[in-house]
Amino acid sequence: MSLADDLAAFLGPGRVKTDPLERHVYARDGGLRTGPVEVIVHPRTTAEVVEIVRTARNHGSPVVARGAGTGLASGAVPTGPAVLVVLTRMDEIHEVDEASRTAWVGPGLINLELSQHIAPLGLHYAPDPSSQSICTIGGNVATNAGGPHCLADGTTVAHVLGIELVTVDGEVVMLGGAAPDPIGLDLRGVVVGSEGTVGVVTRVLVRLTEDAPATRTLLLAFGDTADAAATVSDTVAAGVIPAALEMMDRVMVGLIENWIHAGFPTDAAGVLLAELAGHPAAVEAEAEMLSNIAKANGALSARLAADADEAARWWKGRKGAFGAVAQRAPDYYLHDTVVPRSRLVDILGRVHEIAERHDLEVMNVFHAGDGNLHPLMPFDAAEPGTLERVQAAADEIVTASVEAGGTLSGEHGIGLEKRDLMSLVFSPVDLDAQARLREAFDPVGLFNPDKVLPAGSRCFDYGRPAPAQ
Amino acid sequence: MTTETIGRRFHHLEVEANERMPECQLVLAPTTAEEAAAVLDAAAEHGLPVLFWGNGSHQGFGHRVETAIVISTERMNRIIEWSPADLTVVAEAGVRIGDLALRLLEENQTAVLPEAPVEATVGGVIASGQSGWGRLRYGPIRDRMLEVVLATGDGRVVRGGAPVVKNVTGYDLPRLATGSFGSLGLISRVALKLWPVGERAATVTVEAADRALAIAYRPLAVIEENGTARVYLTGTSAEVETQTAELSGTAVDGLDWPHPLAGETVLVVRVPAGLTGAATERVPSSWSYQAAFGVGEVRLAGPSEPAADLLATLRDWTATVGGAAVVERAPEALYEKVDPWGEPGPSLELQRRVKAAFDPLGICNPGRLPGKL
Ligand SMILES: Cc1cc2nc3c(=O)[nH]c(=O)nc-3n(C[C@H](O)[C@H](O)[C@H](O)COP(=O)(O)OP(=O)(O)OC[C@H]3O[C@@H](n4cnc5c(N)ncnc54)[C@H](O)[C@@H]3O)c2cc1C
Repeated sequence: MSLADDLAAFLGPGRVKTDPLERHVYARDGGLRTGPVEVIVHPRTTAEVVEIVRTARNHGSPVVARGAGTGLASGAVPTGPAVLVVLTRMDEIHEVDEASRTAWVGPGLINLELSQHIAPLGLHYAPDPSSQSICTIGGNVATNAGGPHCLADGTTVAHVLGIELVTVDGEVVMLGGAAPDPIGLDLRGVVVGSEGTVGVVTRVLVRLTEDAPATRTLLLAFGDTADAAATVSDTVAAGVIPAALEMMDRVMVGLIENWIHAGFPTDAAGVLLAELAGHPAAVEAEAEMLSNIAKANGALSARLAADADEAARWWKGRKGAFGAVAQRAPDYYLHDTVVPRSRLVDILGRVHEIAERHDLEVMNVFHAGDGNLHPLMPFDAAEPGTLERVQAAADEIVTASVEAGGTLSGEHGIGLEKRDLMSLVFSPVDLDAQARLREAFDPVGLFNPDKVLPAGSRCFDYGRPAPAQ
Repeated sequence: MTTETIGRRFHHLEVEANERMPECQLVLAPTTAEEAAAVLDAAAEHGLPVLFWGNGSHQGFGHRVETAIVISTERMNRIIEWSPADLTVVAEAGVRIGDLALRLLEENQTAVLPEAPVEATVGGVIASGQSGWGRLRYGPIRDRMLEVVLATGDGRVVRGGAPVVKNVTGYDLPRLATGSFGSLGLISRVALKLWPVGERAATVTVEAADRALAIAYRPLAVIEENGTARVYLTGTSAEVETQTAELSGTAVDGLDWPHPLAGETVLVVRVPAGLTGAATERVPSSWSYQAAFGVGEVRLAGPSEPAADLLATLRDWTATVGGAAVVERAPEALYEKVDPWGEPGPSLELQRRVKAAFDPLGICNPGRLPGKL
């Protein structure tokens, strides 16, 4: 029997999709590449995922997990015929424990829906990627997703306490749990950020965060992006960690204003959007301190949001940034490098210089407080030669970030996009160790093969046979 | 015989054993990860077990390890790079946590490592997954781990992560190494994320820990010690003053942390945070305890005599609510009577394979982990 028939035997024929239109739709995620999808399944339970994994393995077909497909590293795009396991139907909120501030959720749950569900309890789920209204918790776990509010609260990995994982043998293992510090090797961290290469995540125990009793949202405008970057460094150095500290440059602000009318100053070279969240007695003082630091760095203006509506409008503008880029060009290349925060000024200069040299436009909207850059280059792939220029500039930007003491990806992951750049930051021995770790979970290369680690990473065999007793 | 060969080859690294170390034939103190890897390579060649030693403060966790060689981190004790503007520090494993804390305080920063014992080493607290009291606010120690350099059981030097505060570039070795109890290799160097220290701090004694936890906004810690509940606050002066008033307790300036538990035997109960109070109710009246509310950890200290029975009773309960009761410190005899960890849990086979990926011959702290991994 064919793979699709075997899958249909337990899922029912209606739930195994092989028609060309469907396969075309699922051939791409939020990244730039497409790949061959053979069969698409939408499991509803862990038991179904187990059967799918076993069946795919019997047929020698790789398994690629997919959430909402908003990933930007082509992590959910198969490189060869594969079973695409779409987890969006496993979107239950199984259990909320208010006393312990945790919740068990399905991997297909939309990030924002979790926060909406628990809002009446005065709680929220802290990681808030700009895509939070469409991306899934499972996808967030697999990419260790970040978001503006991860500056003070940490990325996804700091909010995942337990994981139910379907392994290569079709077994269900539970990693971690609600109690602190699980005994034995802590494998949760290996799964978070593993981009679907170690198994399928079928349930997640997340940590819930108490809402801040007070917030102040500030909009700071600068005549020079270097002044904005200096404000970021000075703020952190002064011992203030805002809940969020985001930066946008003039081009980006212009596009956002055209599209969303967030109320950003379009004449500034750089805008910082900052949120201070905490005890009412603290946020007042911190907002003032941040304004003063901005003014000392030559800010053109420092405005406090008049009310919650204005703050919400500003955030809508910030989170809609990538959408706004579509006005400029049909395609864009988005980076996700990280540098030490103190190097922001240098690196922004380098990015502009590189783009200019390759005759490309570049705009910036990024998590400045974390040093997580998102230079974005709009282009039209239909124009001959453009993609090559974009790729060349992209590689130079990554190299410059690494030279500044940084790394390849802060929150989007490696997937296929940055896989072959891994040797910029890791030695062959480092990559071999990562390959072995992956092999410990998946010795047969079933899960999302060809992602994250470049070909040939598993290149050493240092293990010696045990000496005769 | 083989240990002698290694002893001759690494004579320049040899140091005196201290009396707290387990019995062994050779103690070596490498100065770099590369030197440590060379020792491990030789030990692997001869199939000799190796135990890693920082200050010995946390060697009470886990199964007893029989070893031929001890690798001490006493000569790997430099703070390599500290960038206050980036809130990151790179330190070698043998740096004492007390020294690091004092150094970072010069710029009002903290790595939120355990406060005591000050002689414990950075590598040791990471390997044993020990967090500072401030974990209620800043999360466990694993959330500080940005980068790790390991000398692995097969003699390699492996680096994972990067010294930046946000990262998803390859697999997260720094968090895997946290709490690994030396089972993968020697943690030689780490990059840690730092936090600014608030301008003001206070310790407020309150009526009830659970009520205080509901009132206070993001306190550093809420600790109940033998029936007395205290809330630890930091932040701006205005915030600390207002929060103190809101808690309506008795306040003193600064952070008056509990002293490390005295007692022959120390056990740790870990349960879902909401059950911290329920866990304290299971502490016998002759035992002393410190309970971290909002975290789900209760440490208790008492005489070794009834410890085995107590552990069994506690485990009956933690098994039903999801958690564990483990031995932190005890006379040797207790380890012969009880499993210091309890049931190893469902991912043991996977853990075995992960250990083998770094330590294929099983020479690094063999048998220490749950399931005698
Ligand atoms: C407009 C826009 C804005 C964005 N903003 C941000 C941002 O601010 N921060 C940020 O971090 N990201 C951002 N992203 C990227 C993306 O939304 C995140 O990477 C998100 O976590 C992906 O979730 P998803 O459900 O779409 O996963 P997918 O794209 O479907 O999958 C992503 C990866 O996870 C794996 N995977 C998915 N589900 C599972 C599972 N259950 N088990 C195992 N593996 C699984 C896939 O194989 C793939 O490798 C943005 C994307 C867009 C389009």
